[in-house]
Amino acid sequence: MSKTTNTAPFARTWQDISQSVNPRAMSKVSRQRRLAWTLKFAGLAGVVAAIVWGTIEIAETMGRSPNQPGLAESGPPLKEITLTTDGVLDRTWAGRALALPKNATLMALDLYALRTRLLAHGQIKAAVLARNFPSTLALNIQERSPVARIQVQVGAAPPCAFLVARDGVVYDGKNYDPALLNTLPWLDGVRLVRAGNGFAPVDGMDAVADLLATAHNQAEHLYRGFEVVSLARLASDGELVVRSKDIPEITFNTRDDYFRQLARLDYVLDLARTQPDKPLKSVNLANGLQVPVTIDTVARLQNSAAAPAPGNNLFPLPGLTHIAQRDF
Amino acid sequence: MISNTKIVGAVEIGTTKVTVLVGEIARGRELSIIGVGEASSRGVIKGAVMDFKAASEATHSALLAAEQSAGTRVDEVYLAQTGGHLEGFENEASVNVTAADNTVSAMDTDTVCRLAMAKELPEGRIVVHHIRRPFRLDGRLVPDPEHLVGRRLDVSYWTIHGLESKVADNTHVINGFSVRVTKLILSSLASGALVTSAEERHNGVLAIDLGGGTTDFALYRDGCAHKTGVVAVGGGHLTNDLALGLRVQQGQAETLKLRYGRGVVHARDKRDKVMLIGDFSIGDREFPRLTIEQITAARVWEIFEVVRKKLGASFAPEKIPAGVVLTGGSAKLPAITEAAAKVFGASARLGEVPAWIGENLRDPGYATALGLLHFSLNAQADRATAPRRSLLSKLFATA
Repeated sequence: MSKTTNTAPFARTWQDISQSVNPRAMSKVSRQRRLAWTLKFAGLAGVVAAIVWGTIEIAETMGRSPNQPGLAESGPPLKEITLTTDGVLDRTWAGRALALPKNATLMALDLYALRTRLLAHGQIKAAVLARNFPSTLALNIQERSPVARIQVQVGAAPPCAFLVARDGVVYDGKNYDPALLNTLPWLDGVRLVRAGNGFAPVDGMDAVADLLATAHNQAEHLYRGFEVVSLARLASDGELVVRSKDIPEITFNTRDDYFRQLARLDYVLDLARTQPDKPLKSVNLANGLQVPVTIDTVARLQNSAAAPAPGNNLFPLPGLTHIAQRDF
Repeated sequence: MISNTKIVGAVEIGTTKVTVLVGEIARGRELSIIGVGEASSRGVIKGAVMDFKAASEATHSALLAAEQSAGTRVDEVYLAQTGGHLEGFENEASVNVTAADNTVSAMDTDTVCRLAMAKELPEGRIVVHHIRRPFRLDGRLVPDPEHLVGRRLDVSYWTIHGLESKVADNTHVINGFSVRVTKLILSSLASGALVTSAEERHNGVLAIDLGGGTTDFALYRDGCAHKTGVVAVGGGHLTNDLALGLRVQQGQAETLKLRYGRGVVHARDKRDKVMLIGDFSIGDREFPRLTIEQITAARVWEIFEVVRKKLGASFAPEKIPAGVVLTGGSAKLPAITEAAAKVFGASARLGEVPAWIGENLRDPGYATALGLLHFSLNAQADRATAPRRSLLSKLFATA
């Protein structure tokens, strides 16, 4: 046989027979075997899927940081923050203080962490945060009111003014009207103690606040003259010493009624105005009906060449009924 | 991770029984037989499936038993093929060596092989095996002619083909178990490869597998199968002859065959009688031993004569120095080797399985299934040792 250029086509071989499984060709034994195998496979696949799902869930849970309040995961994004306050803070300040990420969603917010963040500011006394679906975060905050100012210098930094509330909290006031702040007296005789990033509350501010509130409400013309309130003798003697524009030292007793003490002060000042040649150096209101005053002799000598004869250093006080008749 | 272990099933759907062996091939070179399953065959006549449902149930029962015995699922199946529909023919081709210096190239061998295999078959026939015989380069036998110098290259193929419908029936029975048939192997080649050595096959040997419904044979020469064939007569016909000749039931005839049948007549005394049951119970009868031996020997002689006739001119006693090797369930018939030796004029012996095979599988009835596992091991070893060609080498090879 010689070589030919075209070979005859190959005959079909047994490998050309289709070996697809015809279900009708399966015996009962074979069907049972296939069912058993299918069940085993399904069970195994289920176990594998459960393991994979569990692993993913655990990984996601472990990867989620509890300190990260804003995580954009699911749900509509946060669109608005509403603020209700009894003070001076506004929504702009709230936005800065919360520092939420841009893609934060309402459901992903950690309200507890956000509240803690707000309360870190001394001006905030209480805060309530609520989700208003679908996309609003509602803040309801209660602010502290400043009672006095205090000058603080930390290290070599220039001194700066802080505010002190009735509960003694020292804080950096935001959004207050500067004119209002200027009316607040300064605190003196206080030893501030560092606590964390701020200062420990000042003791005795209740007494100061009561005095200033009484003065502000009942004798505003006196209050306006208060410049410095010293707590130096509060702990030892229970006395507050106020320096006003007119008198360098006015001593109040924290155990007595401030209203009566202010009435006596007002009377003393009225008397003093009738005797301009006798400028007052100090007024001590801590001794009940007796109000010792000290005349500023240096000023007196400078003011008048021919001074009348010096009188008693005690102003004669009328009866209490007279004080009660004064309308504060 | 890809497993290095392959679970292979060897299935022989015989006329009398279905045999399944499960082998575990590790790293492509270590075979362990880990499961055995057997079932009485149903719906199979003379090696061909006649009742698909019955054959499927029997085969699937055997497969399931083997899987349960092995404790694992079968990945692929090597299936033995037999049946009277199988035939073979020889096809030769030759080419002139193309190179100017007469050196045989890969292209020459490919061309001559393609020419030898390219032959159309009648409608409905399908190729089961193409068995290549050794090349001849200018007349001399060469196992691999590449790079040798010569002018003319010849090769011949022994092509075995069968009816597509019957081959498909066999494979579909396995497919019904949701397993693919990886390789279809002639029963005679499977058992012959196991019971003969490579040296015997090189020198020349005739392997005869005497089954229940068919007798498969393979004549080996020069190390490869030279001729194969199937005779649609087997051990079942001996039983049938006894049932007709002695007028007994099939089961009784089978008992007589196993107890008193012989390949050649040994008894001389007609008065020598044997009992059917042996306990003188109702229905127990006596039969002349000589008659039984004459019936079985005549059929055995006839089977061998048919085999010899089918081998035709290819067979000559001097061409099979290694003689005749008998295997299969019916080879257990006493003195059958004597019959074979007389018919073929050559030495004959019973085939022995390799020593590493366990005692429970040393029966000649397992020879075909064991041979299938032998083939599967060789196939896996070929895959494992085949060089992995990189993309670059493939590019240059085709250039």
